[in-house]
Amino acid sequence: MRVVMFDKFFHDFYFGIVEKEGYKLILEGLGNTLFISLCALIIGAVLGTVVAIVKISKSKNVFMVLLKLLCSLYTTIIRGTPILVQLLLAHFAIFPAIYKNAPIVLTAIIVFGINSGAYVSEVIRSGILAVDKGQTEAGRTLGLSSFKTMRLIVLPQAIKNILPALGNEFIALIKETSIVAYIGIRDLTRAAQQITGKTYEFFAPYITVSIVYLMIVIGLTQLLGLFERRLRKSDNR
Amino acid sequence: MITVNNLNKFFGKNHVLKNINETIEKGEKVVIVGPSGSGKSTFLRCLNLLEVPTSGEIWFEGFNISSPKTDINLHRRKMGMVFQQFNLFPHLTILKNITLAPVTLGLESEQAANARAKQLLDRIGLTDKATAYPSQLSGGQKQRVAIIRALAMQPDVMLFDEPTSALDPEMVGEVLVVMKELAEAGMTMVVVTHEMGFAREVATRVMFIDEGVILEQNEPKTFFSEPKHPRLVDFLSKVL
Repeated sequence: MRVVMFDKFFHDFYFGIVEKEGYKLILEGLGNTLFISLCALIIGAVLGTVVAIVKISKSKNVFMVLLKLLCSLYTTIIRGTPILVQLLLAHFAIFPAIYKNAPIVLTAIIVFGINSGAYVSEVIRSGILAVDKGQTEAGRTLGLSSFKTMRLIVLPQAIKNILPALGNEFIALIKETSIVAYIGIRDLTRAAQQITGKTYEFFAPYITVSIVYLMIVIGLTQLLGLFERRLRKSDNR
Repeated sequence: MITVNNLNKFFGKNHVLKNINETIEKGEKVVIVGPSGSGKSTFLRCLNLLEVPTSGEIWFEGFNISSPKTDINLHRRKMGMVFQQFNLFPHLTILKNITLAPVTLGLESEQAANARAKQLLDRIGLTDKATAYPSQLSGGQKQRVAIIRALAMQPDVMLFDEPTSALDPEMVGEVLVVMKELAEAGMTMVVVTHEMGFAREVATRVMFIDEGVILEQNEPKTFFSEPKHPRLVDFLSKVL
């Protein structure tokens, strides 16, 4: 019985992925998934850091107060609405109004980058707040500006502490990109759909792309682990 | 060198410093003593604006540093500070801890800063710890490194906020020795401490603060042998 099941799987796999050239679709999908994820991840990390620092600032400057309000609004709205709705809204309503014929991949990158930034900002904010106040005071008494103190003293310690949580965010981001098929991007998930359209068989294509997603996430986890070990060099434990 | 005019500090409704007027001259070693919660640490932290005064002025080397128009970062370079909890940067090596500020601020090349950091480490006998991280040092070693980290900026005055209070008793001595050497070298120092022996031996002036007011101050001999204010008599009877 079991042998028959495996036999059928390998037959379907061969038929869909090799004979019907599903591997080409998967490779193209993999490229799109990786490209969108990586670009969104970078945008999210930069945006998240900036928003976190703005939210933590105690400045009473009018400009800063307004910026803080804007940042609060941003995290509230982005975290309060589904990413799929944001994607559809951007693709069908916002982009046609401000940038006609925007490449759909660019739309996806921007939507996922902005979305990820909202979550990352809260993670980074918690990391910054967890660094002892004495660290900031020590930096400032040495004559460093608040910006340099943040960049050279507080942020490196914060990032070390939040790396596992940040890893979670990145993993979630990669898997969330599987909804880009809704706006017509041929990502990994879409590739599986297209293969089923050729073979009328669902098991093999979806298992195949699941394994590809899994490989990406395992690779990322390894990379983060390596980075974390380097940062923990100073811990002596 | 430092002049304090009508300094008041509130934490919420709590009036921590009450209209303090004080001058600290170049070369003085002022030791501030007093019960906990008296405002002595807050007073010290006001001197380099770590606490922003609610009202009043702080003048340092001819500049009103409490004015919002002053670039406080420039003046803080000249005011070293040592904390109770050391506050070494745990993610950086000892050498980097010492050279970070002078190099980042462009005061010295990295090579020059490294060379001077090694000299300073040599002075406190910790040359072999240059590449270690703070977590590998004992409390006394950390505090000595914190002192030379402040010295690496070549400050004109050093502020000490209870530098030995977080140390094991047997490590207090090694930190006090470094501070004493610094005093002998002519550094202007303001020290908040509970070490009465240090006050007696090193201070040029001892100041008693209670409930946000400087109740009494004198040169150490008279301060300890002939206290006048009843509150100080009471305090000394408990700590000596």
